[in-house]
Amino acid sequence: MRAQERRGSSGWSRRAIAAGMACVAMALAGCGGGGTATSDAAPPEERALSEQAALGEQIFADATLSASRRQSCASCHDPAFGHSPANALAVQLGGLDGALQGRRKSPGIRYLATNTAFFFAGDGTPTGGFFWDGRARDLAEQASEPFLNPFEMANADKASVIAKLAAAPYATEFRRVFGDRVFDDVEGAYQRMTLAIQRYEREDVEFNAFSSKYDAFLRGQATLGDQELRGLALFNAPDKGNCAACHPSARGSDGSPPLFADFSYDNLGVPRNPEIDRNADPAYFDLGLCQRADLTARTELCGAFKVPSLRNVALRQALFHNGRFKTLKDALTFYVQRDTNPEKWYPLAGDGSVQKFDDLPSAYRGNVNTTEGPYHRRPGDVPALSDAEIDDVIVFLRTLSDGYAP
Amino acid sequence: MRLTLAGALGAVAAAAPAAAFAVDYLTAEQAARLMFPDADRFEPRELNLDAAEMQALDAQGVRSRSARWSVQLAQHAGQPLGVVVTDDVVGKFELISYAVGIGLDGTVKQIEILSYRESHGGEIRLPAWRRQFVGKTAASPLRVGDDIANISGATLSCTHVTEGVRRIVAVVALARRNGKLGP
Amino acid sequence: MNRTRVPTALRGLVVVASLACAGAASAQSATEVELGRRLDQLAAELAKVKAELAQLQQQRAAAPATAAASAPAAAVAAAPPAAPSTAQGPGLAEPTTAIVSYAEISYSRPTNDTKNTVADLGRFVLGYQHRFDEKTKVVTELEVEHAVSSAGDRGEVEVEQAYVERQLSRDYSARAGLFLIPAGLLNENHEPNAYYGVFRNFVETAIIPSTWREGGLQIVGSYDNGLTAQAGVTTGFDLTKWDATSTEGAESPLGSIHQELQLAKARDLSVFGALNWRGVPGLHVGGSLFTGGATHGQSPTSARVTLWDLHARYTPGRFDLSGVYSRGTISNTAALNAPLVGNPTLIPTSFDGWYAQAAYRAWSNADYSLAPFVRYEEFNTARSFADLGAGLTPAAAPTQRVTTVGANFYIGSGVVLKTDYQWFRSSDANRFDLGLGWSF
Repeated sequence: MRAQERRGSSGWSRRAIAAGMACVAMALAGCGGGGTATSDAAPPEERALSEQAALGEQIFADATLSASRRQSCASCHDPAFGHSPANALAVQLGGLDGALQGRRKSPGIRYLATNTAFFFAGDGTPTGGFFWDGRARDLAEQASEPFLNPFEMANADKASVIAKLAAAPYATEFRRVFGDRVFDDVEGAYQRMTLAIQRYEREDVEFNAFSSKYDAFLRGQATLGDQELRGLALFNAPDKGNCAACHPSARGSDGSPPLFADFSYDNLGVPRNPEIDRNADPAYFDLGLCQRADLTARTELCGAFKVPSLRNVALRQALFHNGRFKTLKDALTFYVQRDTNPEKWYPLAGDGSVQKFDDLPSAYRGNVNTTEGPYHRRPGDVPALSDAEIDDVIVFLRTLSDGYAP
Repeated sequence: MRLTLAGALGAVAAAAPAAAFAVDYLTAEQAARLMFPDADRFEPRELNLDAAEMQALDAQGVRSRSARWSVQLAQHAGQPLGVVVTDDVVGKFELISYAVGIGLDGTVKQIEILSYRESHGGEIRLPAWRRQFVGKTAASPLRVGDDIANISGATLSCTHVTEGVRRIVAVVALARRNGKLGP
Repeated sequence: MNRTRVPTALRGLVVVASLACAGAASAQSATEVELGRRLDQLAAELAKVKAELAQLQQQRAAAPATAAASAPAAAVAAAPPAAPSTAQGPGLAEPTTAIVSYAEISYSRPTNDTKNTVADLGRFVLGYQHRFDEKTKVVTELEVEHAVSSAGDRGEVEVEQAYVERQLSRDYSARAGLFLIPAGLLNENHEPNAYYGVFRNFVETAIIPSTWREGGLQIVGSYDNGLTAQAGVTTGFDLTKWDATSTEGAESPLGSIHQELQLAKARDLSVFGALNWRGVPGLHVGGSLFTGGATHGQSPTSARVTLWDLHARYTPGRFDLSGVYSRGTISNTAALNAPLVGNPTLIPTSFDGWYAQAAYRAWSNADYSLAPFVRYEEFNTARSFADLGAGLTPAAAPTQRVTTVGANFYIGSGVVLKTDYQWFRSSDANRFDLGLGWSF
């Protein structure tokens, strides 16, 4: 359960994980807990990376580690876009020739230092884990999959990854840090490679910058404009956006800044995205949590995907696990009009009825969240946010992008 | 007992109790003198109540508690002035020592608090609260919330001291009626 | 024959002592009266010794009945009672340990919402007072709320008091540790037989967060004019605990941010003072003030919490009349609330409440007494909010009004049965209550 403690994480990360676990363990049913990092009085300073993290930085950006020699971690997790994709594709392309479509949208990977392995909280809420379905228990395990994924970096096996690593310019450094004979043992070298990436993602201040305008506002170093403040109020108000229920916006009582995610899962019934080739087959469904080998019996979790952090959301050009919406305006309008105007979002059947939640088999459509605001309205009801209010919220969401300078 | 003058003084010097620190406000002797300033002598007397008298007290609603009472008869030039009784009751946890002075007519002359160590309710030692007892007799209710006002936050201390005074007044009245307090 | 031997032996002892002190005797002439007085004093001492001896003989003859009369009602067997009941002179202060306990059980039935009827062992408190010597004692109280406390249950176990009290001089004593703040009428005196009604009144739970305790140091002065003054330095509240998403802060602002000395943030300490005058029997008038920082350097804004109260209680004859007014304020709430806009429960700038209560001891006999009472209270846990801008500033909360009518039935000196009916501003909350409590 605490696997990430194995390799001498810094005391800072350990405390952060403990704090994160504690917050996460107190999550309410559905959403509504709080993910927070450690306390900050000022944005984290640039610190020199440890040797392992420095190696991880180079590995992260090294495209030669892929079969096509053109794809690195940074290709889909672009630092300039909040470590999210730099394009508006629903799903990134990869594979040997760089033309294969993957399965799900590449998530942003910032602000995950306090996330934990997957577990069921005391009240049964699924919490934690990495990837959209939480199947990886830590950043290292998550980093280990893309190398071997045929739709992504498409290496045949670990040995071929290590062979490429051994030929990289930083291989000497790798040998110096991990031992001269490290490349002789493929499993061991592979594991060390992923751990180096994990160290990089935890230590590099870019992944935990807390340098947005909202962070400055929380520190008392900036004021929000009127529209931004209105947007924040709509974001928080339970009878309006109710966004803070799953994307907490308040500091923790230990002073830690909000992560805008509670690392839990929700089923929103996002419409099916025709952009994904697999969806051409009507029998194909991406069922999220219950598609994991260890959760196939939990059919009530079918259709649930991890709640992502909203930090840097304004930099993302495709949203939700299937990249169905490309703009915040569309996404927020979907949130508040999903149930008041379902015909705008879902296809009509032959008889004219709306095929709501068409990205789920009919057996699982009952799993979709229809009890928490703003999803608990009915056709004909007034949406929780008006068009102008959505714009206010979007303006507020823009304050969550790192790199604010007054 | 007959003793030489010097012997008496010396013995007294050896036997006089020292006043304890702080929460002991008065000694019994000081209290007795305050209540009967004209007295020149306090004669100690043992009151032993027999079973019938104990029952009579119980019937009055006074818990007699003990059959043996040590009292002091205040006298001036051989003439009785009244009686002083010292006693202890529990406040909430701590003992409260007090003395009651009763005149010849059975009315309470005064009560004095000798020592008090509870954290609350020290106001019972102030003249204002004690003054309420002056003039009470065995016929008075002597009950908190009735003819004796409470000290807010010290109900148990007030109640127990008041009960104690009522008991002493009843015991003394009974003893006097049965001639046990004669010269 | 035995009984004459004792006085003879004592007489002999006194003679020896007197001969030894003969030289030290004062040369002043003493009248016969003076002699007589001294004689009487000696006789008194002698009588005391005789009484103790008789008692010892009695105890040896295994007759326990009369000697226990003065034992403290709740003394643990650890130490014998301080003195026999007929002792004369000041009470002794041998170390003693006494157990303190009180408990409250309630049944509450909302008339218009009976599905929410609840019966609860609201509080079970166990504590001890241990007196080390005549100047020093320690007072502790441990409380279990709602009967069962565990990770999956809703009860709580907490230490309510744990302090040392030392008598410094005749008028002054000091307390250090976790102690109750002297505010209102109920906080320091909160046992079930000390208040009217099944539940503690709202002003002294929602505004003054009874049972309110802080850790620190306190000096208590009790003066001969009936005035008691208390002042101290303690821990305070923690505004970083404010949860804008829950309703706790709306139910009791200070109750939701008190620290109870539980890993309490203590960079900002608070000070308090209280004056209570009981110079006239049956009249008690007083007030308190508590103020201190509550952000402990953990927020870019620093803010201060202040709470003050005025209270009075008058008990002429069988009546028991009382009233309390209390008001709390928090500074800089605009800056504290800015990141929380839109949430249901923001930090109020002010909150206050008052009540007036009248009780009358309608009937009593040696063992029982019945006291009906009526109480009217008004309180507002969010009287005002700082301006955050148009459309963003929360509206002040509506003022709650509660009328309570009921009776306390006292059994002996420590047990009480209670019943009452409460009318609220919203009739959904009107309820009928029954309660049982005891305290010793």
